[in-house]
Amino acid sequence: MLKLEGLSKTYSKGQVKAVDNINLEVKPGEIFGFLGPNGAGKTTTIKMIVGLLKPDTGKVFIDGIDVWEKPLEAKRKISYVPDTPEVYDKLKGIEYLNFIADIYGIAKEVRQERIEKYLDIFGLKDAIGNLIGSYSHGMKQKLVLISALIHEPELFILDEPMVGLDPKSSFNLKEIMRERCQEGKTVFFSTHVLDMAEKLCDRIAIINKGKIIALGTMEELKSTAEDKESLEKIFLELTEDE
Amino acid sequence: MNRIMPLIKIDINNTYGLSAIKYKLKNKRERWQLILIPIIILSILPSYYLLVSGIYRLYDTFLYIGQKAMFLLYGILATQLILFFTGLLYVLSKYYFSNDLNILIPLPLKARDIISAKFVTMMVHEYLTSLPIVLPFIITYGVKGNEDLIYWLYSLILLLFIPVIPLSLASIIIMAFMKFTNIKGKKDLLRIIGYFVMIVLLIAFQLKIQSITEKALVNEEDFLYKLVTDSSLLVKRLGLAFPPSMWAALSLNNYMKLTGLFYTMLFVGTSLLVFAIMVVLSERVFLAGLIGNLEVHTSSGSGKVKASAFSRSYPVYLTVALKEIKLLLRTPIYLFNSVGGVVILPIIFILSIFMEEAAPVEQLSLLIGQYSDIINLIGIGYVTALGIINCVGCTTFSREGKNLWLHRTMPIEIRAQIFGRILSSLFVQLIGIVVLLVCLAYMGLINIKSVLWITVLGLLGSIVMTELGMIIDIYRPLLDWDNPQKPMKQNLNVLISMALGSLYIFLIGFLVYRMINRVDIVLIYGIVAVIFILSSYIFYEILKRLIERQFKVLE
Repeated sequence: MLKLEGLSKTYSKGQVKAVDNINLEVKPGEIFGFLGPNGAGKTTTIKMIVGLLKPDTGKVFIDGIDVWEKPLEAKRKISYVPDTPEVYDKLKGIEYLNFIADIYGIAKEVRQERIEKYLDIFGLKDAIGNLIGSYSHGMKQKLVLISALIHEPELFILDEPMVGLDPKSSFNLKEIMRERCQEGKTVFFSTHVLDMAEKLCDRIAIINKGKIIALGTMEELKSTAEDKESLEKIFLELTEDE
Repeated sequence: MNRIMPLIKIDINNTYGLSAIKYKLKNKRERWQLILIPIIILSILPSYYLLVSGIYRLYDTFLYIGQKAMFLLYGILATQLILFFTGLLYVLSKYYFSNDLNILIPLPLKARDIISAKFVTMMVHEYLTSLPIVLPFIITYGVKGNEDLIYWLYSLILLLFIPVIPLSLASIIIMAFMKFTNIKGKKDLLRIIGYFVMIVLLIAFQLKIQSITEKALVNEEDFLYKLVTDSSLLVKRLGLAFPPSMWAALSLNNYMKLTGLFYTMLFVGTSLLVFAIMVVLSERVFLAGLIGNLEVHTSSGSGKVKASAFSRSYPVYLTVALKEIKLLLRTPIYLFNSVGGVVILPIIFILSIFMEEAAPVEQLSLLIGQYSDIINLIGIGYVTALGIINCVGCTTFSREGKNLWLHRTMPIEIRAQIFGRILSSLFVQLIGIVVLLVCLAYMGLINIKSVLWITVLGLLGSIVMTELGMIIDIYRPLLDWDNPQKPMKQNLNVLISMALGSLYIFLIGFLVYRMINRVDIVLIYGIVAVIFILSSYIFYEILKRLIERQFKVLE
C-alpha cells in the first residue's frame, strides 16, 4: 500500500541528513508504527509521503502510484493528520467538514452519516456549530481527525495523533485504527507513546538520525534486542548511543 | 523603562522580520529576494519625483501671495491627517488583532509597559510613513528660503514629535471603541460596522471643518487687507482644522522670534500631554477591552447543528471560493482591506461632493458633455485597478499561512484552486462595482449602457489583476505569520502587484487614449476586452505551472 524507495532529504546544503536512504513497505490491512526520538526524521518522512516536502532522492508509492509524479491520484487515496492541528479559526467546525467533504466529492447523505458517526465518537457534537477559533487544542485535533476520516481513506497517515487527546478519545482513535485494518485499509502513524505502539501495531520501524535502525513485528524486534522485556527497553537500547 | 526596552526590541524585530532578513542575507537561496526591495523603491521613484517637484512649485505660489507659513501647514497637516487615519487601522491591528498579547498578558508587565512598547514600534512605522511626505516640505522651505540653523533644529524636534498626537488620538479612539463594542456574541460584526461608520464620520467631520474654515476665510470683508498684513493669516484660519499642525507650522515660520519657541514648546508639550493621557487611559480601558477580546465563548449546547447544516456537494472550485469569501468576511483585518478598500473611495468622493456643494459634479458634467464615454472608460479603469487594490489575489496564498498544508495534501485540482480564488476576488469586486454604480447614479452620471460596460469589462480586467496578484503571491508566499495583519498589510507582494498592475493599466490606458476620437468606442471596448481575455489566459497558464511547482517545492 505504501512503498518508500531510497528516500532521502538533507537540510543546510547537504550538511544535515534529516532522512537517509529509507526503504520501507507497508502492506494493506496493516497498522504500522513509526517510532524514533525527537528530531529523528519522523515528521520529515511523513511530510515527504503526503506531498509537503520534496525528497532529494527516492520515490514514494501509494498503491503503486508515485506521489510526486501523479499527486492528485495518490492524494485521493490518503488522508493526513499533522502533528499540530492548524485549521481555519474563522470557519465553523461544520463548515470545515463540509469543505473537506466537497473536496472529496462526498454526497450529502453519506457525509451526514459519517460526520455524525465520528462526532459522536469524539464527543464534538455540541461544538460543531461554533467557530474553530473557540476550540481547545484537543478539539481541533479531533476535528482534523474527523475530517481525515470523512472519505474513508485507504491509507490513513497520522503524525503524533495522540497528542492533546483525552483518554477516551485516544481509546476511540485506537479502535478506529483497528476497525480500518479489519476492513483491509492501512494505517501509518508516528508516535512517542511506546506502549500504544506495542499494543496496536502489526509492525514497527524505529528511526534514528534519519536511518531506520529496526523494522519488524514486535516479536522480531524482541528477538534482536538483548533486553527483550518491553518495547521501551528495546527503543532505549537501540537509540542510546547512536 | 528596563522592562520596556526588551519588549520594544522583540516587537520591532517581529514586526519588521529583522531576524528573517538576517537569515535571508546568510542564506544564498533566499538572498535574491532582498534585491526586490530597491527595485520596488525604484519603481515608486518617478511618481514620487512628480510629487516633490509639485511641492517645490507650491512653495513659489505661497511665497507669491506672502503666505509662506501656509506651505508648511499644508505639509504638516497632510502628514498628521494621514498618520491619524492610517493610525486607526494600525492601532486596531497592533493592539487587538495581534496574537502576541496572549503571551504578554500573563507576563509580569504593566499595561502601560505593553502599550508604550507597542506605541514605540508604531512610531517607527509612522516615521516611515510620515517622513517621505513631510520632508520635502521642510527641506524645500529651508533650502529655498535659505533658513538658519535654528530652523533645522526646530524641524528636527518637530519631525520627532509629528506622529505622537495623531497616533495617541487614534489609540484613544480605538481603545474606547473596542471597550464599548465589547458585547458578547456579535463582537466582530459590531466592530466591522462600527469601524466603517467611524471612518465615514471622521472623514465627513474633517471635510465639514475644512469647508467651514474655507468659507470663513473668503467671506470676510477685510480679508484681502489682512492677507497682505499678516503673513500667517491663512495658517491661523485653516489651521483650526487641527491646531497642533498649525503650531508646528507657526513655530517654523517664526523660528527667529520668541513666538517660534513658544509654538515649538506648545507642540511638544501637547504631544507629551496627549501621549500621557493615552497611557493613563490605556491602563483603565485597554486591559478591560483587551481581556474581553481574548475571551472565547465555550460551547453550551449552542454549537449543535441541524441536518440542514450538512451541505449538498459543491464543485471543488466553488467550495474553495466560498471558504475564501467566508474567511475574508469574518477576519476583520481582511474585511477592512478587501471590501473596505473597494467601497471607501466612492464614499469619500460622494461625501466631498456633499460637503462642497457639487462643484466637482459640474466639472465632471462638463467633461462628460465633451466626451460621453469617458465615464465608462474611467469606470472600467477604476474597477480594474480595484482588482489589485482589493488585495484578494495578491495575498490569497499568504493568507493561508500555516493552513496551506491542507491544500497541498488534498486532491484539489490546480484549476479549482485558481477558479475558486478568482471567484472570491470577483465577489469583492462586485461589491465595489455596485458601490461605484450607486455613487455614479447618485450624481446622475449613468445610463444602462454604462452599467453594462463598466460591469463586464471591469470584471474582465479584475480577473487579469487577480491572476497577476496570485502569480506574485504563489511565487513568494508569506506563510509564516501569527497575526492576520501580516499577510495583508506587511506583505511585499501587495506592493509588487500594485506596481505591476498599475503599469499594466497605464499601458492599456495609454492605448485607449491614442484610440479615442479615431476609432469607434464600441471597437475600443472590443479591443480592451480582447486584451483582457488574452492576458487572463496567458496569466492562467503561467499560474497553473507556477502553483504546481510551488506546491511541490515549498517547505
